[in-house]
Amino acid sequence: MEAKGWISGDESAKEMLGRVLSRARPFLLLPPLHRVPLRPRNVLEIVGPSPSAKTHLLIQAALTCVLPVDWNGVHYGGFDGFAIFIDLDCRFDIFRFSHLLKLRLASGSVSEIDREQNNNTIKRSSIAYDEELYTLCMRRFSYVRCYDSFEFLATLKTLHYRIQKEKAYGNCVHMLLIDSIGAFHWIDRASTCLPLRGSNRKSHSVQTVLETVVQEIRKLLLLHPMLAIATKATLFGNRAMNEAKCRNLRKPDTSYSQIGGITALQLPYREYMPSAWQTFVTHRILLRPSDDHLAVSDDQNHSVYFSEWLLPSLSFLDKFIVKEAGVFLVA
Amino acid sequence: MAPLKSLEQEYPILDSNFQSFCASHDIFSVEDLLLHDLYVLAAFAEQESSSERLKQGIAQVLSIIDGQHQPWLNGIELLEDAQRNKHVLSTGCEGIDLLLHGGLRVGQLTELVGPSSSGKTQVCLLAASNVAKKHIGSVVYLDTGNSFSPQRVTQFICQHSDPAIDQAKHRTLQKVMNNISCKSVFDIFTMFDVLHQLEFNLRSQMQGGDCKVQLLIVDSVSSMVTPILGGSGSQGHALMISAGYLLKKLAHEHNIAVLVTNHTVGGDGGISKPALGESWKSIPHVRLLLSCDHGGSICNVSILKHPSMVESFASLFTMCAIDLSLSLSLSVRPFYKLFLLHMVFLFLFTLFNFFSSGCW
Repeated sequence: MEAKGWISGDESAKEMLGRVLSRARPFLLLPPLHRVPLRPRNVLEIVGPSPSAKTHLLIQAALTCVLPVDWNGVHYGGFDGFAIFIDLDCRFDIFRFSHLLKLRLASGSVSEIDREQNNNTIKRSSIAYDEELYTLCMRRFSYVRCYDSFEFLATLKTLHYRIQKEKAYGNCVHMLLIDSIGAFHWIDRASTCLPLRGSNRKSHSVQTVLETVVQEIRKLLLLHPMLAIATKATLFGNRAMNEAKCRNLRKPDTSYSQIGGITALQLPYREYMPSAWQTFVTHRILLRPSDDHLAVSDDQNHSVYFSEWLLPSLSFLDKFIVKEAGVFLVA
Repeated sequence: MAPLKSLEQEYPILDSNFQSFCASHDIFSVEDLLLHDLYVLAAFAEQESSSERLKQGIAQVLSIIDGQHQPWLNGIELLEDAQRNKHVLSTGCEGIDLLLHGGLRVGQLTELVGPSSSGKTQVCLLAASNVAKKHIGSVVYLDTGNSFSPQRVTQFICQHSDPAIDQAKHRTLQKVMNNISCKSVFDIFTMFDVLHQLEFNLRSQMQGGDCKVQLLIVDSVSSMVTPILGGSGSQGHALMISAGYLLKKLAHEHNIAVLVTNHTVGGDGGISKPALGESWKSIPHVRLLLSCDHGGSICNVSILKHPSMVESFASLFTMCAIDLSLSLSLSVRPFYKLFLLHMVFLFLFTLFNFFSSGCW
């Protein structure tokens, strides 16, 4: 009887699709994160050297998250939810966030081309925006900073209760943003070799810390379907990369370890995160600054950045520049 | 962090029974608890005889953990705090102030990168004297190379003050100089000591309205860190990053502007690069590059990184001249040049000896 009930199923494919699609509609983020549809419970990693506009993309995603879909007849295209920002880098600038929010509110429904034209006319002092909506959006942004990995763990362990509290007020958290996940790598790595009392006692190391972090985030994502985005700075410069390359060339048979479809040989940075984190990441985008600059006007020129999807691997590069009002793709 | 035993006094629910239950899972401190899955632990507690009390204990521990992280703030609260406390301090150098929209921001770590004799220390001394004078705050100056020059600071202070009666001038000078405390540190461990002491003092001082520390200068942080880097171990890097986080914490929690300097070294292909490289990059909020013309009287500043200025993200070439009246400080230089000349002579002499005695 039980087996029969199990086989017969309890909903049709149409019902199921309707259920899944209504709850987990893909997030459409601004460029350059627009190529791949991201869903709740996905984990996106933004990799890149410093500076490569990683934090800027994170702020932009947070803004999209806190903005409403529509407000007083104006379409903002946001997710109408809460965003949680865990700052391990301790460099978040609220003035920048607030300024970008004002610009987004001011541009509102204006299409992207118009916005680019308007961009030069908008001055810092005279931005017309909805005060009430501004306050609402700012309140939807939750921020915490951590000075070491224990504070980070303590934050994650109690985050569930925090989110539940928000839910009790009818607020839904849509995004978990972490800047940047490898911030305490060196500190944790150095404390690995400290001896501890008790042989089975978990030692404080990169491995155990990151395993616990992954475990906690996984549980959080299960309980609260949200999109997790983490930035990761590349810690090793060109020299370390070249050395790694040389090593790989000498031992060709071991170097072809597949990391998300791309061989380690081709990776333009050296991976330092433990495998627990690497397997946890579902999407990965690589940012790179380029040497050339784009002259927009006489007094301004902008660095051009490249973005490339590594996971899923898309074979083309996007070129973008960061301007006052945000990221703009360049052909 | 605290061992569980020491928490018993404050929280009686964490009694010896709870401790022995935790010890059976190799948990002795709050740190261990952080690394454990508390849901799993609660499931284990379920099987024990005194499960109710154990679970209460776990709930208690969770609330202790909740106090271990920094407070949650929403955007409005963050903005209020920033508007109230995170103002800018003028460095006294118009070029830099112009570039940074007013000067060094409180709560941020600003870094000066530049080759030797590009004016890094001069900017530090100028900022110290200006903050001590105009902002009525005290300055802590950590000097790693005996480069702090009270005479130079005096010059900066007197230069800007109105030509008044000598006595009054002397009094202001004394007051301003009293506000600058210079400490010589020659290794990173001493620096940790000094910074921890400073943090302790600031925390205990918070109630009293004493002359508040507004600016912390480390000149230079790179000369202290580079000796411990290198090798295969990660200890050096760990110390460097810890120092960076300690500085950032001091800056943010106690509303201090932090200014550090970083010298440059020759990189690949002869292009000089900052001594503290890729891993350090994540520490400073603002990174300024100083360079000097051959004449030595005009310095160029450009922004390498700034958290809130997009245009400067790219406009690497925004140059501005800072007139530090370096001619005043040039008196030290001839000795330096003499020394170089001396070295060249020594080298030539050795070469000459080698060729005359050996192969020829």
